[in-house]
Amino acid sequence: MAYPYTHPKEVRLLSRYFGDPGARSLEGWKARGGYQALPKAFEMGRDRVIEEVKASGLRGRGGAGFPTGVKWSFMPKERTRPHYLLCNADESEPGTFKDRELLRWTPHQVIEGIAIAAYAIQAEQSYIYCRGEFFETTQVLARALEEAYEAGILGENAMGSGIRIDITIHVGAGAYICGEETGLMNSLEGRRGQPRVKPPFPAQAGYRGMPTTVNNVETLASVPYITLHGGEAYRAYGTDQSPGTKLFCVSGHVRKPGNYELPLGFPLMELIEDVCGGLREGRRLKAVIPGGSSVPILSAEECWDCLLSYEGVAKAGSQLGCASVIVMDDTTDIVKQVRRMVGFYAHESCGQCTPCREGSAWMEKILRRIEEGRGTEEDLDTLMEVAGQMEGTTICVLSDSAAAPVKSSIMKFRDEYLARIRTGERVGAA
Amino acid sequence: MSQQPNPQTVTLTIDGRSVTVPKGTTILRAAEMVGIKIPHYCYHPGLSSPAMCRLCLVEVEGWPKLAPSCKTAVAEGQVVHTDSEKARAQRTGVLEFYLVNHPLDCPICDQSGECKLQDYVFAEGRVHGRSREPKRVFGRDDFGGDVLFYGDRCVMCTRCVRFMREVAQDDRLCVVERGSRSVIDTFFEKGLEGSPFAGNIVDICPVGALVSKDFLYKARAWDLDHTPSVCPSCSQGCNISIHTRDNLVQRLKPRENLEVNGWWMCDYGRFNYEWMNRRDRLSVPVVGGKAVGWSEAVNSLAEDLRAAIGQGAVRAVCSPLASNEDMGFLRALVDVLGGGEIYYRSRRAPDEIVLPGYPILARRRDLAPNVRGAELQGMIRVGDDEARGGLDQVASHEGIVLVLGDPLLDQGEDFGGRAAVYVYFGTYPSVAAGRARFVLPITTFAESEGTWINVQGRVQRFWPALRAPGEAWPAWRVLGSMLAALGEGPAPAEAHVAFERVAQRTPALEGISYRDIGTRGVMVREPALVSGD
Amino acid sequence: MSDSSGIPFNNPGWAGNTGEFQLTEAQVRGDDYVGERPKEGTHPATAATYPYMLADKDPSAPLFEGPYRERWDKIRSRYPDARSALLPTLGLAQELRGYLSPETMEEVARLLDLSPAYVRGVATFYTMYNKRPVGRFLIQVCTNISCNLCGADEVLQAFLNNTGTELGETSEDGLFTVVEAECLAACGFPTCVQINSRYYENVTPKDVPAILERLKTQGE
Repeated sequence: MAYPYTHPKEVRLLSRYFGDPGARSLEGWKARGGYQALPKAFEMGRDRVIEEVKASGLRGRGGAGFPTGVKWSFMPKERTRPHYLLCNADESEPGTFKDRELLRWTPHQVIEGIAIAAYAIQAEQSYIYCRGEFFETTQVLARALEEAYEAGILGENAMGSGIRIDITIHVGAGAYICGEETGLMNSLEGRRGQPRVKPPFPAQAGYRGMPTTVNNVETLASVPYITLHGGEAYRAYGTDQSPGTKLFCVSGHVRKPGNYELPLGFPLMELIEDVCGGLREGRRLKAVIPGGSSVPILSAEECWDCLLSYEGVAKAGSQLGCASVIVMDDTTDIVKQVRRMVGFYAHESCGQCTPCREGSAWMEKILRRIEEGRGTEEDLDTLMEVAGQMEGTTICVLSDSAAAPVKSSIMKFRDEYLARIRTGERVGAA
Repeated sequence: MSQQPNPQTVTLTIDGRSVTVPKGTTILRAAEMVGIKIPHYCYHPGLSSPAMCRLCLVEVEGWPKLAPSCKTAVAEGQVVHTDSEKARAQRTGVLEFYLVNHPLDCPICDQSGECKLQDYVFAEGRVHGRSREPKRVFGRDDFGGDVLFYGDRCVMCTRCVRFMREVAQDDRLCVVERGSRSVIDTFFEKGLEGSPFAGNIVDICPVGALVSKDFLYKARAWDLDHTPSVCPSCSQGCNISIHTRDNLVQRLKPRENLEVNGWWMCDYGRFNYEWMNRRDRLSVPVVGGKAVGWSEAVNSLAEDLRAAIGQGAVRAVCSPLASNEDMGFLRALVDVLGGGEIYYRSRRAPDEIVLPGYPILARRRDLAPNVRGAELQGMIRVGDDEARGGLDQVASHEGIVLVLGDPLLDQGEDFGGRAAVYVYFGTYPSVAAGRARFVLPITTFAESEGTWINVQGRVQRFWPALRAPGEAWPAWRVLGSMLAALGEGPAPAEAHVAFERVAQRTPALEGISYRDIGTRGVMVREPALVSGD
Repeated sequence: MSDSSGIPFNNPGWAGNTGEFQLTEAQVRGDDYVGERPKEGTHPATAATYPYMLADKDPSAPLFEGPYRERWDKIRSRYPDARSALLPTLGLAQELRGYLSPETMEEVARLLDLSPAYVRGVATFYTMYNKRPVGRFLIQVCTNISCNLCGADEVLQAFLNNTGTELGETSEDGLFTVVEAECLAACGFPTCVQINSRYYENVTPKDVPAILERLKTQGE
């Protein structure tokens, strides 16, 4: 019994039970060592839990990489108003498919992580904001949550601690932008999922104006391990600035796409060539997007010595994001794929900020024209400038995300654009 | 002076100028205070700030990104540049985005000439647009009521949605869809019909997306003259601007006054202006059925009045649309003629219509602007809520009968038939004026300078927006000349003199001058008047 | 390798016979673990999580009555204010009626004491709320980058060809509506297709006729 593909180089702290249907149930999860961390957290006390998470160096797995323990410590120490913990399960970044796996194979791992975090930040009510499309996944999660309530793990008196920990599943309805933490809060409040201007930050005024922490599924799933084994044990993996393991979602032109849990700092080429079985016969690597479609594209040369840590990918000229590695071989039509990505951002732009609303749709139109062989060289300059006008000028970073593939691809694959403009010829097929 | 910093204020530098403002002020407001206008669309002082148009971004030294000035509070020692290269480039870029899908139909757009997109693009836009793509088309949509929506011109500032949500608290508009497909809409066919305040969204729309059906294609903005005034339609006294062309009122717009109406006015007042354009006006003084000049009319009337003094009390009727100047001089004349009662009639609506998000503003029950002024001059309210009836004791009065402004629409031809002297100071011909020996043409408020006192007890000025027809004079001038002919001081030649004369004999107005009132008004000095309706 | 459907597909999403993957469809989907869920819901914490396309779609079905009212009450009880319950309430309405008509939006607005225009603004922000009726099977083909690199455009075309529909239109028999979807978070199993609430993964153009046949005979 095994999940599609595994590899000996993996360090499976979170993903050990992927593909093991027996791990889903409370009984099965307990038999695999579950629900030992929560009682331990109650014993340790809030401050020590936060200290341990800080010591682990765990960084937010949703893409921004902000240290989780530090984020928790922003919450008010005294609870004078309701505190909320929101688990961000609105996984929508193209190339990312880890949270769904965590939720559908190991729902209790996520529930336990949420319970510990809720305890640490004094949130009596937590919400799991599940992506609306995850019907099957949320069914599994819901069943697990019901089991946890039946067993008294959650509720008014969580595991007999006298502490109230409630978790509710909230379902989204199809909007990428609700994965942005303030957009998520607006959506949870029953509004259009438009991001909010920061400050105020969620820890000051979040869901319904109350102190709120938003954490990604993978982040919270890592918490039980850290609570049980200590921050130092977690730090044994990864690099100094990027401690721990990370689920790498590999997709695109590799033989064995899938989720691979590896220590941060793992070499990108080793991931592609060894762990994922390399490219198809006779193909050569053309480009890699290392962190989901919102980050700059890396050319093949830039990948060679790229290490998959927050700092390593930054050094190579991109971002680790949520470690969604999209691999493109030499059959790839860069113009088409960039157009498709920009089309995604145009479709998902919430429409508040002018540069994003107008710029993303405009870039898509230009790119489509180029793709159809009706472009001009000036279009490339226009694209670069329009992308520039979209960077750093909006409330959230969706605008920057739309600009990233355009700018990086024109810089790195200009020839391919020019070929399409001059001869209308496609370079790749896909 | 000590340099002790005041904890309640913040000092910062904007474009090289040092500014001290209260803590919590936004950069945009602080800049405004020193005359620096930062372009913006979504920000409006009467609404929440979503900071989404991204036009008001400014450079703050030491900050990695440009800051939305409408949402960013000032900080001590901050150095702000609104006109740096980065800030200008941002505006030019955002303006280019606005034009990607804009139809550029200025020649047929009502907003042309008062359009913020035109203004900003003219000032800081690119010389040539770079977009070659087909434009998005939303087309035109009737929002109901007076409002027409041109989706293609919209800049998605959402001021209209926020006005309806936050101020009118009647959430009938929404943004539909998202991204570049976002568009303002109502709930399908259910539009703005019946909303008493929806007209304001046309005012706050910075572009030509929301236009008034009433004003549609009537005039170009640059052909309009703007005159500060006060809304005559109820006792709230919303500050307005009368927009005229060719000596006709084309539209009324609210004028900012935070003490009275904020930036808003109701649709009842907004559209109640056609009467100011009526052509069937009294335009020459008529004495005994014969048109005469003013000096002859005044002399002849003075003679008749002198003869009638002592033959019992005077009975007068005054319209609550008359100014304090008119009312004060009417009271003075009545007193000189031996005293008597002055009646006024005001139409009254069954209820107030409050603007929930700006509750000091309401369409008041009294549908006349100067009921407080009438009360101040000791006038007596008569008649029903339709301003009918209640004048029996005047209609058959045998002494002097003076009628000022009230059109007497409910009165018959025999009104004043038994009066010793019956004088009708009016604007329109009236059946009941038939028996008047003296029919004297006076101006409407829109043609004269004067003051009213609103429901709050606030005395407010208005200015002439139209030329008066023919020989029509402001009533205070006619009355003042009359008093002069009767030996009661010189006739006032100007409105401010008339006001001062009235103020002298009216304790509540004592010491107040036109200069004090200015364009924003002042409260009268009589606490009893400063109460609710 | 056999699977519950009996159709031998290279499709771990519902067959589970790719590579080293040796699970039944029910095990992959978790159906055996989840079991049957009552209409009225169980614990309020999970009352919002039902698969919306499984109920009979009746555009005039009464909203929030009987067991559905019970479930709605559970949903509502988990939020501090009515507005926060808007998304799950719209979801429940769509579960019953298949799409959100203006009348449905009005009913939801009344229930939550919101304005109809507000509800429309929110409903149109989210792509999963159908603003017009869709077929019995809503087929959403991911064509975003990871799937696209692996031939998603061809899969989409295959669905269009085999259902005889245009993008976004419903087939004449009322069974199928094919639309393009954004990333469904199954990038490692391209092409991912969501049919009603089910994911079909590793779909290739040649799988399409059999998938459609299975839908017709067995439902999703």
